[in-house]
Amino acid sequence: MIAAAWTVYRKELLDALRDRRTLFMVLISSVAIGPLVLMLVSSLVAGIEKRAEARELVVKGIEHAPTLNNFLLRQTYTVRAAPAGFEQALRDSKLGEPVLVVPATFEADLARGEAPVLELVSSAANQRAQTGTGAVLRLVRAFNQEQATLRLAVRGVAPAVLEAVRVEERDLADPATRAAQLATMVPFFVLMAVLYGALNAALDTTAGERERGSLEPLLMNPAARLSIVLGKWGAVASVGMLIAVLSCLSFLPGQWLLRSEALAAMFRFGVGEALAFMALLLPLAGALAALLMAIAIRCKSFKEAQANTTVVLLTVSMLPLVTVFNQEGTAPWHLWVPALAQTTLMGRVLKGEQMAWVDVGTATLVCVLLTLAALAYVTRTLRSAALK
Amino acid sequence: MIEVQALHKHFSSGRGRHLRVVLAVAGVDFTAANGCITGLLGANGAGKTTTLRIAAALIEPDAGRVLVDGIEVAAQPTQALARMGMLSDARGLYPRLTARENIVYFGRLHGMDDGAAQARAQALAEVLDMKPLLDRRTEGFSQGERMKTALARALVHDPANIVLDEPTNGLDVLATRALRDTLRRLRDEHGKCIVFSTHIMQEVERLCDHVVVVAHGRTVAVGGVAALMAQAQCSDFEEAFVKLAFEPLGAQPSAQSGGRP
Repeated sequence: MIAAAWTVYRKELLDALRDRRTLFMVLISSVAIGPLVLMLVSSLVAGIEKRAEARELVVKGIEHAPTLNNFLLRQTYTVRAAPAGFEQALRDSKLGEPVLVVPATFEADLARGEAPVLELVSSAANQRAQTGTGAVLRLVRAFNQEQATLRLAVRGVAPAVLEAVRVEERDLADPATRAAQLATMVPFFVLMAVLYGALNAALDTTAGERERGSLEPLLMNPAARLSIVLGKWGAVASVGMLIAVLSCLSFLPGQWLLRSEALAAMFRFGVGEALAFMALLLPLAGALAALLMAIAIRCKSFKEAQANTTVVLLTVSMLPLVTVFNQEGTAPWHLWVPALAQTTLMGRVLKGEQMAWVDVGTATLVCVLLTLAALAYVTRTLRSAALK
Repeated sequence: MIEVQALHKHFSSGRGRHLRVVLAVAGVDFTAANGCITGLLGANGAGKTTTLRIAAALIEPDAGRVLVDGIEVAAQPTQALARMGMLSDARGLYPRLTARENIVYFGRLHGMDDGAAQARAQALAEVLDMKPLLDRRTEGFSQGERMKTALARALVHDPANIVLDEPTNGLDVLATRALRDTLRRLRDEHGKCIVFSTHIMQEVERLCDHVVVVAHGRTVAVGGVAALMAQAQCSDFEEAFVKLAFEPLGAQPSAQSGGRP
């Protein structure tokens, strides 16, 4: 039985590896895209950092507001005059900073105690300018605070009177945790890579074999059906696992290309993390391979199987969202759901938390059980499938 | 030798009011001897393919049995399949593998070691006149080339019994003639027991030593071409077939009585 399974395994693997074009597309889309996105994010973050370091403010009509100018200079900001036609530039995303518009009567209004109106011009469609508005608003608020405090002090009122409650922010996240926020997308990409890696091979060995009319002759061999199924599953799982390993490793060089130093320091993904990822993903690759085969074996054609397996693709890609939307943190049942368990545990690896062996064991056990159930189903269905 | 005894098989689809029962095989009986080409002749839907699928252990019969060299297929499918080479009506090849790899793969599944399977592929390529095809990928093969490869694949374990389901479907004249020559050689030089199903009269007339006429799921007449023509009192084999197959209430002694189920 083992010999027959081995024969089937080698043939299916050879067959899958000969499908160069598909394999190439899978490699490109699943292995390269993660690091690519990482680099894009890094260049975006690097841009934001650069702007934060520059401490520059674009203002129109600063000549009307010497007090504000004085405040800004004291905050070590450089004031830059807004270019002509800045509204159009903001609309076209040509200007990357929001523009503060100062009215001509600013100084006089301020002196008379009539709150002058500052206009902060930005565009919701202009991502870069929009991210800068927060900093400008904080700056203006600080100016407000300073002016109010001065006025109260002049009238002999303690500024503390206005503050019924004081808020102090304390961020408990250490750098590793903050990095994990950014890195939450890594498990997602790796998971998708495994799924798409296994998908084609899974469909080809089941629905594809059926569509070609080669399943019936295959079953007329004296080999046991279970060994045929085991061989096929082994090949599909191997392809999935290969993609899993490659995509885990692809984040290692991807990390060296991070352009932001702060980001590179935060995004911890070393050899240890890669190995932990693989340990989590390999059983999942096996389970997904079996599950995809079980769904596809019922389908008469490759196309039908593609439509049917969309459910799996959608579910697996939506599951990580549970961790995003869930307000109560990780619920115990998360570790019993394949894909969700792996996402959760990979998240912990990235946060630098210790993985409990019980949790890893649970996730692996579920995968093994799912694999066995799916393979039993495929074995049982194989014969009726051959006859269409 | 292949013996088919009182085979019955029905298929049902749907449930409740939509239940449809189709009696596919309702009493097929014949014996195919060694060193002999037996033709299973019947119209489309007569039950030929179902009978052959039961012989190949793909379907279990409701009643009756198939013996391959004395081994009952339903009881010992593995042993029976090892003694049988079947070219079914589905003869899909693996397009990304070469013809040789396709053949050797099935050889390995029959438990042959790599050397033996390779040698056998080479030998079959000579018998079937397909040596130039061996190392080409089967993607883009013509119908005739596909058929040869599928036949070689079915014969890789040198089975004593060969079963072919409508092997000439989609083949041109030359390919059909080549196949006929091959089957004759397998019969004369190797003494194989060959069963092949068809609905083409010419095939049967030119090739078969023994003919089994199947209609409405049952065997209606058995014998040589000449004997069947004599039985139907026709000088034309096609006329004889129509008479034997579609006039079941006629007076032929071997035709079984009874109408449709």
